[in-house]
Amino acid sequence: MKGGLKMVKRIYWVCLILMVLCLSLMGTVGRAQEVKISYSDWQLAQDIWGRSLREAIAEFERLNPGIKVEPEPVALAQRDVKFTTAIRAGSGPDVFALDVNPVKQYIKEGWVKDLTPFIEKEGGQQWLSDFYPRTLMPVTEDNKVFGVPKNTVAMVMVYNSQLFKEAGIKSTPKNWKEFRDVCKKLTKATKPGGPVDQWGVAFVLAKACFDLRFSVVLRGFGGDFLTPDWKQSALNTPEAKEAFNYVVDLILKDKVMPPGVAQVDCNEARRHLAFKRTAMKIGTMWSITEVSGFNPDLRGWEVLEMFPIPQKEGTKSKIHSTLYQKSIFMNPNTKHPEAAWKLIKFLTDKKQMEKWFVDNNMLSCRKSVNDTYGPILQSKYASVVKKEIEYADFLPLIPQWPECLEAFRVNLQAAIAKQKTPDQALKDAHEQINAILARK
Amino acid sequence: MKIHDRYKGYIFILPAFLLLVGILGFPALAAILQSFNLMWVSKPSFTVSSYVNLMKDKEFLGTLLNTMIFVSVTVSFHLLIGMGVALLLNQEIKRRHLFRVIAILPWTMPDVIGGLIWKFIFDTLPGFVNAVLIRGKFLTEPIDFLGTPLLSFLCFIFAEVWRGYPFVMLILLAGLQAIPRQQYEAGAIDGASTIQNFFYITLPNLKYMVVIAVILDTIWECRLFGMVYSMTGGGPGYSSQVLSLLTYKHYFQFFNTPYAASIAVVLAVFMLIISIPYLRMTMRREI
Amino acid sequence: MLKRQKTFWIFIYLALVVMGLFNLLPFYWMLSSSFKTEGEVSSYPATLFPQVWTLGAYSKIWFQEKFVYYFINSLIVSMTTATFSSLVGAFAAYGFSRFRFKGKTLTMTLFLASQMIPGVLLVGPYFKMLSLVGLYNTLLGLILSQITITLPFSIWMLKGYMDTVPVEIDQAAMVDGASRTRTFLMVVLPGILPGLVATIIFAFLLSWGDLLWALCLINAKAKQTLTLGITQLVGEFRTEWSTIMAATMIATMVPAVLYLLLQNFLIKGFTESAVKG
Repeated sequence: MKGGLKMVKRIYWVCLILMVLCLSLMGTVGRAQEVKISYSDWQLAQDIWGRSLREAIAEFERLNPGIKVEPEPVALAQRDVKFTTAIRAGSGPDVFALDVNPVKQYIKEGWVKDLTPFIEKEGGQQWLSDFYPRTLMPVTEDNKVFGVPKNTVAMVMVYNSQLFKEAGIKSTPKNWKEFRDVCKKLTKATKPGGPVDQWGVAFVLAKACFDLRFSVVLRGFGGDFLTPDWKQSALNTPEAKEAFNYVVDLILKDKVMPPGVAQVDCNEARRHLAFKRTAMKIGTMWSITEVSGFNPDLRGWEVLEMFPIPQKEGTKSKIHSTLYQKSIFMNPNTKHPEAAWKLIKFLTDKKQMEKWFVDNNMLSCRKSVNDTYGPILQSKYASVVKKEIEYADFLPLIPQWPECLEAFRVNLQAAIAKQKTPDQALKDAHEQINAILARK
Repeated sequence: MKIHDRYKGYIFILPAFLLLVGILGFPALAAILQSFNLMWVSKPSFTVSSYVNLMKDKEFLGTLLNTMIFVSVTVSFHLLIGMGVALLLNQEIKRRHLFRVIAILPWTMPDVIGGLIWKFIFDTLPGFVNAVLIRGKFLTEPIDFLGTPLLSFLCFIFAEVWRGYPFVMLILLAGLQAIPRQQYEAGAIDGASTIQNFFYITLPNLKYMVVIAVILDTIWECRLFGMVYSMTGGGPGYSSQVLSLLTYKHYFQFFNTPYAASIAVVLAVFMLIISIPYLRMTMRREI
Repeated sequence: MLKRQKTFWIFIYLALVVMGLFNLLPFYWMLSSSFKTEGEVSSYPATLFPQVWTLGAYSKIWFQEKFVYYFINSLIVSMTTATFSSLVGAFAAYGFSRFRFKGKTLTMTLFLASQMIPGVLLVGPYFKMLSLVGLYNTLLGLILSQITITLPFSIWMLKGYMDTVPVEIDQAAMVDGASRTRTFLMVVLPGILPGLVATIIFAFLLSWGDLLWALCLINAKAKQTLTLGITQLVGEFRTEWSTIMAATMIATMVPAVLYLLLQNFLIKGFTESAVKG
């Protein structure tokens, strides 16, 4: 009996000691004479981007003694969960970065601070004029500016020029008919007599990164998800129908995409290209870095090239691609708005944007940088993507957008899984989106 | 003695009670308030519109059906396999400890990670199952497990049956070990066969544990989130989606706080309804 | 000792082998993938056995990605949660099992009902409460939150086991002069050792595999838990399967070892001392 009681007492003491240990871990809140602000960004969690950001932060601290910046990396898929939980409860990182998707929601729920007063002090409209007008649209609401754009790129088609040469393809496709032919030529068995193990292209159909990639096909055909006023679904137009059926046919009839296409997310698409399982993918500036990172043997910087998204033959639509943008925001709960503004200003100024290109191959939101910076002017990739920015637009900037997009994607998957006919799937998507838009 | 006993009873449960009410009370209330659009929304105003919209939402109804099917199938298999393995491990086998550890291994995988691994196993190109099928020359083209609606759901159920059965097994095993030897010896004297032993000695003793295991497992499976999130994401379409995932989507991806909260409330009510008969069974045992 | 025929034992061992294969298959896949190179792990069709063995994934995990910290954090959090939850739970379970008092059924049902609200909705309010008392971004805050999840299940499990110990044993001990508490600790608890072990392991695993709480309640990377760290390896850019598999191997080995230890030390140790005393 005694042994048992001793054991219990032992456990009790161990617990108590552990509790004390943990409580003392709490006391690591140091006494700060200096101002401490936190910067959270999903790109801090990545190798190359993270390093670049940390160098920028170090430079900022050097120029601003008295302000200490705490970098807080967060995984992209977990970002909104973490941010919104913290901000809802009155806390959260002082400065943070977002892509375009959730911005309107954040603005609507009051999770980002209005930066207009700060911008006025910098010179208001004049300060803003260096940014492409289009890049200011996602971060502005009611004439109030809530965030500062950092970089923008347009989606293009990335391809393996070596595989093109081997397949005897002389020129890059300009319209969707040529695209289909090119895909067919590239889909084959690399080992004679073996199974098909090389395909033309892999589209992203999984949730992650679906938005940027698929939309370009729809727009390339001259269609779009919503009407220009973003109030209704535009999926009942003949162009939308054609685009939808085209993709379903590419997958089911022509079989130019690798099997398992419904699971392909952006990582998988990059892997396919990196390991020569596909010859093309919808991508942009970062694709080169990332694909090469997966497989250095590919010699990506040499063999990978880009061409603009194909269009419907005979037409020349104004918009045929989609824009991606990363912008920086301030937390309304921040206790150091002045220091936070300094950081935002620093990260989006000319010098930092140039560094961003050198480190990460990403175009800037500032006209002055894109039009005059040497390395940008010389990059073969930058020239293609920069031109495409003119012909690209954002996805609808409304709070209901994520839900609408998901409704569309779910129906597209149903069509590919042969659960519904393409026309039925499109019709259902159209109705669901209208229902969502009517709800609010 | 009786009066003392009553107070003593309260004292014993006091720490647990304080902890739970103290920490869980506010969040539980908050969840309900959010579903009525009263808390943590930009413009609070009491409305049942989320519930009304829910009933019209095809995706919600489909997900509800999925959840019901998923829970009933999974818990049933857990019980079957768990009981079988518990009986096995209760025998006087050599290397008992080794087999016991192997038996709980599936459950040591956190559900989020488990989902990832099973996704990898069923993956179309680099996946294990397809590798076996293709290298074994059974097929020339891989099967798109996770991209076919029914298959995806079945794979998800399979993965969760694999992962969750040790839980039931563990509960039942501990219960089996508590059955007094004398009962079996008495049975042997009476000339009972193995099967008779099982039905007349083992099962009656275990009845209570089985009920508890079923209640806990059912609640566990209703809440299950991590596995489906990382394995199929609910897809393709929403063929493998369960209510917990739908709640997550609406809360953290579409930022529809009231809608998400109302789904959660429906899920909670659903769980309550399922467990009531079992709760009654255990309460009946209360003296 | 009950005699059994040979065929019975053959059947038993065969069934055990089948169970072993069924359980271990994904682990085999995990293990072999963790030793492959990134290129091989992504190949089609996949190789069933690594063609090139490499420890690259493991060294990356341990040295590069700070997984040592995550490992220690998870260990601290889960062990504390499990112990506390089982201890407090055992007391409560004894209270429910042996006493009659007003509101007993209601409280029991409430405890269980508290599990029926999805974590997704609870994280926000938890966060708010913890930050109010200054426990945000602390391991203690995480432990407290996880205890509220493991506690109700633990109580229900332990009560079930305690109900199988007849009340007469309690009464016998008390007649001998033992207090209620002593009876509980010395007589009832040792009587349900296998059940106690099951509960501790169960609480440990619940805490070990938690993602949502660790994600929202912990900010500093150095304080993250292992499970959280693993999910972060699945990024938007560059998911490396071999690395993830290596990390998962480490993550799943710990509970298995813990179970082994508990089986050996706790049960053997207690049973011996109980018999002696």
